[in-house]
Amino acid sequence: MAALSNKSDQEIKDLLDEYGIKHGPVVDTTRPLYEKKLKEAMAKAKVTVTKPSPDRTFYREDQEEVTYVTCQTPVRSEGPSGDGKPYMRSRPEYSERDRVDDKPYSRPEYSERNRVDDKPYSRPEYSEIDRVDDKPYSRSKLEYRERDRVDDKPYSRSKPEYRERDRVDDKLYSRSRPEYSSGRQYIDEPHVYNTPSSSSSYSKPTPVMKSGGVVKKENTTSSGRLIPLWIQFLVFLIVAGFLYFIFTNMESAESSPFNKIQ
Amino acid sequence: MSSTSQKHKEFVAEPMGEKPVNALAGIGEVLGKRLEEKGFDKAYVVLGQFLVLKKDEELFRDWLKDTCGANVKQQGDCYGCLREWCDSFL
Repeated sequence: MAALSNKSDQEIKDLLDEYGIKHGPVVDTTRPLYEKKLKEAMAKAKVTVTKPSPDRTFYREDQEEVTYVTCQTPVRSEGPSGDGKPYMRSRPEYSERDRVDDKPYSRPEYSERNRVDDKPYSRPEYSEIDRVDDKPYSRSKLEYRERDRVDDKPYSRSKPEYRERDRVDDKLYSRSRPEYSSGRQYIDEPHVYNTPSSSSSYSKPTPVMKSGGVVKKENTTSSGRLIPLWIQFLVFLIVAGFLYFIFTNMESAESSPFNKIQ
Repeated sequence: MSSTSQKHKEFVAEPMGEKPVNALAGIGEVLGKRLEEKGFDKAYVVLGQFLVLKKDEELFRDWLKDTCGANVKQQGDCYGCLREWCDSFL
């Protein structure tokens, strides 16, 4: 608005109300003050409007991605057939999440986001991106590790990678990715997890970070998980038992000081 | 004990009557002269402005700064002085 001074007192008053500026009557002595306040308010409003928010674009994409869910059928020939299905159902979760995975394997929108290769199985780019590579199987596992991200590798990826990533596979559905964000800040991560096979089984939010070696189990299991659930439990029990063993051993050591008192 | 000046105490003790604008707390010789040039030659005129601004602190402070260039402390002193006077006599 130009020429604030040309406006009538009533118009100034209306503008002040519009910007939510507390004011009194607009008289000769108060007018310059209010004009100045209006000028500042207008300049500030203009600044906030023009400032684009990068996140906005991101979200928009997500919305788009959400629609993908139903389209994708488990194309993965390698992975358990079930993978595709379980994946699909988790999609709705995905979309909430900041969506990302919506595309089981074909994430077109990924590109914007920091994303990862939409290509479900052939994502050579993966290594560079620190993001979620959709590459389901083709990517060499090495890349996976480096990225520290969720590669979505649907089934073929060796589990160890999975763990390292702080993985997101679970996250696909359970979005618990807090881990992911560390360092990566991917919003896309959810979609990274697309590995449908793993996602269904991973519903657990905590990443399976347990020893990477443990993950070796091939996800050949038909259940659609990268690592069978029973194996995960077994590993957990082993680790818990190990810790307990250490703990009990520690206790016995404490008793030795008492002996000295004699 | 509030940190009000002697000037403040004197001003709020009685109705201002025809006191000059210099009598206001926070308004010294320089600021007083600037206010007089703008037409605010008496304390009650500044009081009038204070009331027209609905006794709002932020508005009054901004106005004082724009009109005579008062700093934050001077603005606060003048505002406090007028507010207390109004509480007692208005």
